[in-house]
Amino acid sequence: MDFLNTYFNLVPVSLAQGTVYAFVGLGVMIPFRLLMLPDLTAEGSFPFGAAVAASAIAGGFGILPAMLFALLAGILAGGLTAIIHLFFKVTSLLAGIIVLTMLFSINIRVMGKPNTALFSFDTLFTALLGPAGGSPISQFAVLFVILCIICFTLLWFLHTELGLALRAVGANQVMASAQGLSTSWYVIVGIAIAGGFAATGGAIMAQYQSYADVNMGVGVLVIGLASTILGEAIVGRDTLFRQIFAPVVGAIIYFQAVALALSLGLRPSDLKLLTALFVLLALGLPILTERIRKRRSKLSQ
Amino acid sequence: MNAHPGLCVRGLRKTFFGGTVQEKTVLNGVSFSLQSGEFAVLVGSNGAGKSTTINAVAGDLLVDEGQIFISELNVTSLPAYKRAHAIARVFQDPMKGTAAALSIYENLALADQRGRRRGLRLGLSKAKVDRFRASLSVLGLGLENRLKDHVSQLSGGQRQSLTLIMATLNEPQILLLDEHTAALDPRAAELVMKASLEAIRRSGAATLMVTHNMEHAVNYGDRLLMMHDGKIIFDLNSVAKAKTTAAELVERFHHVISDRMMFA
Repeated sequence: MDFLNTYFNLVPVSLAQGTVYAFVGLGVMIPFRLLMLPDLTAEGSFPFGAAVAASAIAGGFGILPAMLFALLAGILAGGLTAIIHLFFKVTSLLAGIIVLTMLFSINIRVMGKPNTALFSFDTLFTALLGPAGGSPISQFAVLFVILCIICFTLLWFLHTELGLALRAVGANQVMASAQGLSTSWYVIVGIAIAGGFAATGGAIMAQYQSYADVNMGVGVLVIGLASTILGEAIVGRDTLFRQIFAPVVGAIIYFQAVALALSLGLRPSDLKLLTALFVLLALGLPILTERIRKRRSKLSQ
Repeated sequence: MNAHPGLCVRGLRKTFFGGTVQEKTVLNGVSFSLQSGEFAVLVGSNGAGKSTTINAVAGDLLVDEGQIFISELNVTSLPAYKRAHAIARVFQDPMKGTAAALSIYENLALADQRGRRRGLRLGLSKAKVDRFRASLSVLGLGLENRLKDHVSQLSGGQRQSLTLIMATLNEPQILLLDEHTAALDPRAAELVMKASLEAIRRSGAATLMVTHNMEHAVNYGDRLLMMHDGKIIFDLNSVAKAKTTAAELVERFHHVISDRMMFA
């Protein structure tokens, strides 16, 4: 039972990682579930947020302004994707790919080089948890509290007149415009908010690992999607509360599964393949079960 | 009931696929006006331009020529969402008028603010519950006790009835009903029609109802418009309409068409 020992040692770190990626999960869930518009921008806005926050911190701006800049950067990235989608009639997926490709170059411009180290600077963690940056469990606790505050704020927003309108645009665009809602505007707002979440995740990640790197976005979208799907399988999605907390719970559980897989001897480089297969299975499952059901009912006739 | 002035439509023209072999003129100079509180029924064969007329008034499609005025305000170039403050609609497809993923309550709250600015106030409130319950109870479907249910749980007839209540919740100046009972079974269609008459009477809106049902066309409304080939070919006022039967209407329709074919 050696691997269990290894796994238990990994639990605190993977809890902290899970809460960081929960931000990405929220950034993926909003377009996919609330707007019914698949969006890949997270893959670009995550490193964009990291690059902006890292450069700002290294440039002496302080932690809070750095996080705000990152948030703003993500909002711009998401907004740009939505605008490309709406005004150039490009599918939302391709619009996201265009933006994340742009962001790769922009991120290097922002940092002046492909990565930025923050080891000698104050971060969210050193500021709150002492010069060593705190233990993984205390990092997890801090991030979890921040996440809960953000999730409840999101829950409140989605119950306001504006939030209700946003959900209506996702649920039925014909009805939404018949009720006087500019569907384009709400799509831009929704994707921009999602971009803000992913970029905030990136900003926290940069401070968590004390560096930002242009390649840190590779695969985060699938992690966000896997977290959302996993969370929905666990807590469901029949109320807004559950829908919002699903990616958070999902991300935390996902990184536990990752820790378990690693302690069983899996290479970290295999994880992307496994995650992608998991998402494929989750997306394909309804179709597979439907096929099997049809074949069975055919046989029984 | 002359609180609001009505709808005025002048010389609407619309051609689809212009400049190609598929070129089709769907509106060929449509003009009419409706007073507030007036209830007009629009009939005509398939492809006559009835739905296109409704969509042009609603703003779902912009016309090539002509003008549309709502209470003397020129709305010809405004998109649908900018006309929604004045116009409420019930679509032919029961799925279109409501958001299935939201609750009955949330759908009503959205419609309650049709065309108004939305802010950061909570969308739902205690005061609204009572008002919504009262509005729904008129239908007699028990929907007033199911406010929290998702609309996806409702039947087509129930959804159409809900859309109707949503449409008349905040006093539209114009009510557009586009074959709104056509997709329902006969019993549900009668229920929705009955609820429509009540809603039209209560709202005092200028109402334009498209229908294929000749019985409905002669029995309801105080004006009858008939379209053919993108034009309004006749317009009966309430006195003339009262003397017409469904059979005569069909007869007259065929007469007009065959006359046209002879002169063509």
